[in-house]
Amino acid sequence: MTRRSPYPYWFFAPAAVIYTALFLLPTVAAFWFALTRWDLYTATFIGLDNFRQFLAEPFLISGMSNTLIYAVTTSGLKTVLGLLLAVLLTSGLYAQGFLRTVVFFPVLVSTIGVGLTFTALMHPTKGAINVALELVGIDGPGWLTNPTLALFSVALVDLWKGVGLATLIYIAGLASISPEYYEAARIDGATRRQMFWRVTVPLVRPATITVITLSLIGGLRSFDLIWAMTKGGPGFSSDVLASTIYKQYQAGFYGLSTAGNVILFLMIALIILPLTLWFNRREVDA
Amino acid sequence: MTRRQTWTGIAALAAATLIFIVPFVFIFLMAAKTKQDASRFSFAWPADWQLWQNFVEVIQTRNYMLLLAYFNSTVITVGAVTGLVILAALVGYVLQRRPGRMSNVVYGFILAGLMIPPAVVPTIWVLQGLGLFKTLHGMILIQIAYNLAFSVLLYRSFIGTIPRDLDEAAIIDGAKPLQIFWKVVLPLLKPVTVTNIVVQSLAVFNDFTNPLYYLPGKENVTVQLTLYNFQGQFLSQFNLLFMNILLVTIPPLIVFIFFNRQIVAGMTAGAVKG
Amino acid sequence: MANVILRDIRKSFGAVDVIKGIDLSIEAGEFCVFVGPSGCGKSTLLRMIAGLDTQSSGQIEIGGRDVSGLEPSDRGIAMVFQSYALYPHLTVRENIGFGLALAKRPKAEIAERVGAAAEALQLTHLLDRKPKALSGGQRQRVAIGRAIVRDPKVFLFDEPLSNLDAALRAQMRLELTELHAKLGATMIYVTHDQVEAMTMADKIVVLNGGHIEQVGRPMDLYDRPATPFVAGFIGSPKMNLYTGEVARALGAGTYGIRPEHLLVDGTSGRWTARVRHVERLGADAILHLEAETPGPITARTSGDAPWKAGDQVWLTPMPGKEHLFP
Repeated sequence: MTRRSPYPYWFFAPAAVIYTALFLLPTVAAFWFALTRWDLYTATFIGLDNFRQFLAEPFLISGMSNTLIYAVTTSGLKTVLGLLLAVLLTSGLYAQGFLRTVVFFPVLVSTIGVGLTFTALMHPTKGAINVALELVGIDGPGWLTNPTLALFSVALVDLWKGVGLATLIYIAGLASISPEYYEAARIDGATRRQMFWRVTVPLVRPATITVITLSLIGGLRSFDLIWAMTKGGPGFSSDVLASTIYKQYQAGFYGLSTAGNVILFLMIALIILPLTLWFNRREVDA
Repeated sequence: MTRRQTWTGIAALAAATLIFIVPFVFIFLMAAKTKQDASRFSFAWPADWQLWQNFVEVIQTRNYMLLLAYFNSTVITVGAVTGLVILAALVGYVLQRRPGRMSNVVYGFILAGLMIPPAVVPTIWVLQGLGLFKTLHGMILIQIAYNLAFSVLLYRSFIGTIPRDLDEAAIIDGAKPLQIFWKVVLPLLKPVTVTNIVVQSLAVFNDFTNPLYYLPGKENVTVQLTLYNFQGQFLSQFNLLFMNILLVTIPPLIVFIFFNRQIVAGMTAGAVKG
Repeated sequence: MANVILRDIRKSFGAVDVIKGIDLSIEAGEFCVFVGPSGCGKSTLLRMIAGLDTQSSGQIEIGGRDVSGLEPSDRGIAMVFQSYALYPHLTVRENIGFGLALAKRPKAEIAERVGAAAEALQLTHLLDRKPKALSGGQRQRVAIGRAIVRDPKVFLFDEPLSNLDAALRAQMRLELTELHAKLGATMIYVTHDQVEAMTMADKIVVLNGGHIEQVGRPMDLYDRPATPFVAGFIGSPKMNLYTGEVARALGAGTYGIRPEHLLVDGTSGRWTARVRHVERLGADAILHLEAETPGPITARTSGDAPWKAGDQVWLTPMPGKEHLFP
């Protein structure tokens, strides 16, 4: 007595073929090729050697820790500044619409273009940033030439380019909070600061979850900005997993490169999955 | 508007201008300078305006490579976005309309697609096996595969707002599944389709990493790759490099001016739901 | 025109039985109303007749043909939805002709049939508008036009008036009744509103909890409700119903008396009662009273009745109008 559904599963088929062949299959295959010495034609099984190398070579280890530092820094800053900007840009400011546009536009611009532009602006002696600092008597640092600073400089540019998206998501989140909450809080005698912490922050939580998750995933996978600005240098000081993967690929170490991919995959899974579960559980409790 | 708001507004305006606009002004100024002038990196008015000469010179560089790059990028963007719109709408439609174990599994794969970094070398291996490595259609298929998840989620949530009664009225009118989709549902998806087209066009056009891996070779160059390729060559010609950056920035700017609302809708989808 | 026969229809979603064995015969040309509270299964039953849902077991016949395995479009039915379900991107003309276009009928035939349907429903001047530009009543008519043009054996209506305001609803009730008289088609109509059921139906099917409580002509249900549920559901204000000790003293498992079947008198009667509140509706007044027996009670009197809150009155059920359920 069952007739055919008006929503047939074969509608999935064309997308599924492309997605499986070009995304799922390589992802699964990576777990095998990561265990091999590989030149794209012959793969020799070498067990966990690639992973051992990853954990032994100092520059590969620093690539992993840099990935974490970069992701946490950019994600944290985007979350905090995104919320503050969103609150500012929904408070009925002068030229509010224009400001939103200005803050958001960098999101849409070529990452490479932004990277090259800021590379010039951050030039240690000629760059506009240090020239401006000199005017007020500060001796600007070598933003991209100082090994301890380079990664954070790139992270700042990432913030510049990406904070607009966080702001936009927060603005949408704030718009969904009923003004009645604020009116009730005012009648209860809450101060502006109290309203922010006790009304805004808890009620904008779904947006916070989105911003943190998106920017963390983006930060962990980040490649093009770093590549455009420092190519992982000076030395290996600003190398992250994604740039290591590319370098090993260029050098022809395909197995090692793929092992890097697998490590990146595991790293994202181990961070994002528990985080998502934790967010969801808090949601149920609340 | 209170006095205080006005002053905070003006302060914010000044800060935002400094932080977010100055870099773009810098790009423009650099693109207008002479070679010597540009190499000083200074944030100064060009001594000699060379905007047009620089434009012509950048276009002509390496045998009109930038034009080829624009052509390639356009082909990839149009092809990928067309495919994305049709395939993602089909998936999002069935996913939303037919809940069940099958849809849960598909949904799981979609979420994984948002999270998992593509395994690059194995992908090259697959592309080579299919004869698609270093080809534009290979690149188109890659962009479809990588951006599918986002488009499907956009469509799925929008289709949730289209009443099922419409499908059922069409069923009673004698429509077959593909007719229901094509004649009733798809026309109603226009707003989210525009959003999809705009957001994904920007994503594909601006993509650097994937062409870098999957489209090596001069004849396959894309717009973003020209920046990277010229970077070495223009090391002494920053005016030309920045002219190139300017040219790469203009298409998103135009799209942004016309489709601001759709972009915002697409980028904030899911922000409220979580 | 065709009759509809349901044989032991059952439907369960997982472990939940929503339709628990329904046998029903609807005559050709009849206006049959399914009525009941929300969740009683009336809409599910209609959707199974349409073929939008599939019954778990049982058989559906339309015009003597078993349609249980057929697609909705092959059953000879048309349906008007609660939301009207007009295609927003198509004009009124395209909406009405959509099914014919799908069936690849010749253009001239489509134009003629759409024109005829529009004529009958006074929609001709609206044919090139989009649904968004129509009023609620006009949308309703387009939805009916889309049904008429299919020339169905059976019309199905799923709460078609619930999105209209009260005045328009009364007008559309009249129009639908006239349409039925003109077309003479079999119509099955689902509503939760007993007024719609009483005013429009040839036959009312009262559903409750997935089974049929009673089938009958409107006045039969009003005069001789088979169960306390039907007694309480049909008629407004609701029938006064009593169970337990009170009912047993009156010689029944459940005792019922309609508010309009109580005589109210200032000096004598069967029960004494005190008036708690008077609702004056104009022509009528509804008295809410507290009687010693049988307890809280509602009575309907003429609008100019002199009673006010606090008055002591006597109530007497009209002879032959009392309902005694076992």
